[in-house]
Amino acid sequence: MAALSVTRCLVRSYFCVKSAHKNVQTCLQTTTRVFSVSASRSSSESVLKAQFTDKEVQDILTKITGLNLDKVFRPLIQQLTPPKYKLLTDTELEEAVHKAEEQAKHLLEMPPILPERKPIDDVLAEDQMLEGMDTAKYVFTDINFNIPHRERFIVVREPSGTLRKASWNERDRIIQIYFPKEGRKVTAPPVFKEENLRVVFEQERHEDVLNHCVVQFEPDSAEFNKVFILTYEDIEKHGKYDLLRSTRFFGGLAWHMVNERRIDGLLVDMLQRDLMQDAVKLVRLFNLVHPQSESAQHAQGQQAADLDLLKIYAQYESSRAGFIELAVQTYEQTKALGSI
Amino acid sequence: MAASLQRIGIVACRTFPVILQRHLQAQRIRDVKITSIVAPVLRVNYCASSSSADNTDSAETLSRYADTPWEYLKSEEYIERYGSKPVWSNYRRNHKGGIPPQKTRKTCIRGDKICGNPCPICRDPNIIIHYKNVNLLQQFFCPDTGVVHDPTVTGVCMKQQKLLSKAIETAKDFGLLRAQFAHVDFTKEDYSNTHGAVAPTPPPFPLSSGELWYSWYGSVKPDERELARVKRIYKDYLKPEV
Repeated sequence: MAALSVTRCLVRSYFCVKSAHKNVQTCLQTTTRVFSVSASRSSSESVLKAQFTDKEVQDILTKITGLNLDKVFRPLIQQLTPPKYKLLTDTELEEAVHKAEEQAKHLLEMPPILPERKPIDDVLAEDQMLEGMDTAKYVFTDINFNIPHRERFIVVREPSGTLRKASWNERDRIIQIYFPKEGRKVTAPPVFKEENLRVVFEQERHEDVLNHCVVQFEPDSAEFNKVFILTYEDIEKHGKYDLLRSTRFFGGLAWHMVNERRIDGLLVDMLQRDLMQDAVKLVRLFNLVHPQSESAQHAQGQQAADLDLLKIYAQYESSRAGFIELAVQTYEQTKALGSI
Repeated sequence: MAASLQRIGIVACRTFPVILQRHLQAQRIRDVKITSIVAPVLRVNYCASSSSADNTDSAETLSRYADTPWEYLKSEEYIERYGSKPVWSNYRRNHKGGIPPQKTRKTCIRGDKICGNPCPICRDPNIIIHYKNVNLLQQFFCPDTGVVHDPTVTGVCMKQQKLLSKAIETAKDFGLLRAQFAHVDFTKEDYSNTHGAVAPTPPPFPLSSGELWYSWYGSVKPDERELARVKRIYKDYLKPEV
């Protein structure tokens, strides 16, 4: 029982656990989702599949992203101040580096991957009496300061007299007018159209575009998803994975590729840069997300670890098997030579 | 080399107003509808390139960059005139006294007339401020801080400065210039979308017999004296009590 309560705390999908307070069966389901693929008690396949918010998935993604302090703390375009010089002892220096790493981890938090928000089409009242009252729609907004924006009531009175809740697009625009966020515009800037995105991608400024997108759109909106997918596709087409490494978007890129079952490009890039552990973790993530695939089943059967996972993946699922196997062999040889 | 460039620049500056005056006298002013350009329409030196044969050669070169102002920055005459320095590097304002006025002049060109010593953008009709003309726009702000240079430093007139700021903002909107955005924190927001403001309104529950709409309906008792008073006033209209 103690173990169960501990695991309940660890699971990130807290709202599931809250509602399943009385239902012990659902508690067991949520715990098994986090842990190993083999010990499954439920019969439905969707429960076995790992979600983005699972702790193990998040661990893998953060490790793959890396932590290049020089890239995370590169100079921003802002008002410059004269540099500060400090004299530190060795312990103080280590503390300062540790603090910098904490700050970097905070900056590298991944934007959430949410399902697309369902459209709001809810009519509150239909008053034919008010038909033709005006040629314009009236928007009534609750502008109390201390309510979260997703609990704010925004309703629209049409000229035909119907009183309906505002759609998501209207909500975003109205909330930006009354409670402006820094960097966000009321109407979407033209950079997010495909032809302009192409120009930006040619200049290799994918990270800038993604930063702009994160500031402009809500994480569950359609445009947010569209821009991210276009960026990921362009990166995969040209193999420019290193542009996003050590930024907050690498986790999302890896997750997207794993879901699409197209991790070959990313794997090859990692192997070319001698990131063996990252490649192993990527294959492990693939097996978690697709537990029914051949690679996952063989790996589970043989209880494989480290480089064997890579070999199994190369054998069964990959389209660039030759390169992966060659890279694994070279690594093993260099390791053997190094240990001699 | 530098000296000769300077001399050419000075000569060009000196002769430009003369050349401009000659154009004004020699040609008719034609209005050109330029839909894609943000440049001022009152540029008197413009003629449509497809117009009749009384265009002089210099008019042809002036109108050549009307549709594609970014081409001028790669042309030989630009490199010869400015080299790799920004267009405002050799400009000096004329003003009385040691301290220059804190605002440059309002505009260099009023109607047909161009002032003496026009600003670096107005003196060269091929330099057009357009959001796609990134190489020109980059000369007017610092690449490390993103701060636009003050007009008292560059010497541009206030009208061109406004157009410049507008063009820089549009270029950032189109992704042609780098812009810096604040870090967005996602941990504090709830994205479940379950609140009644954004989710479909649940249908009202039907009342079972004896149940009240609000739970406190039954427990509030009216004041006895108030009740008696109201009954006395509306005595004639009350239903007979059983």
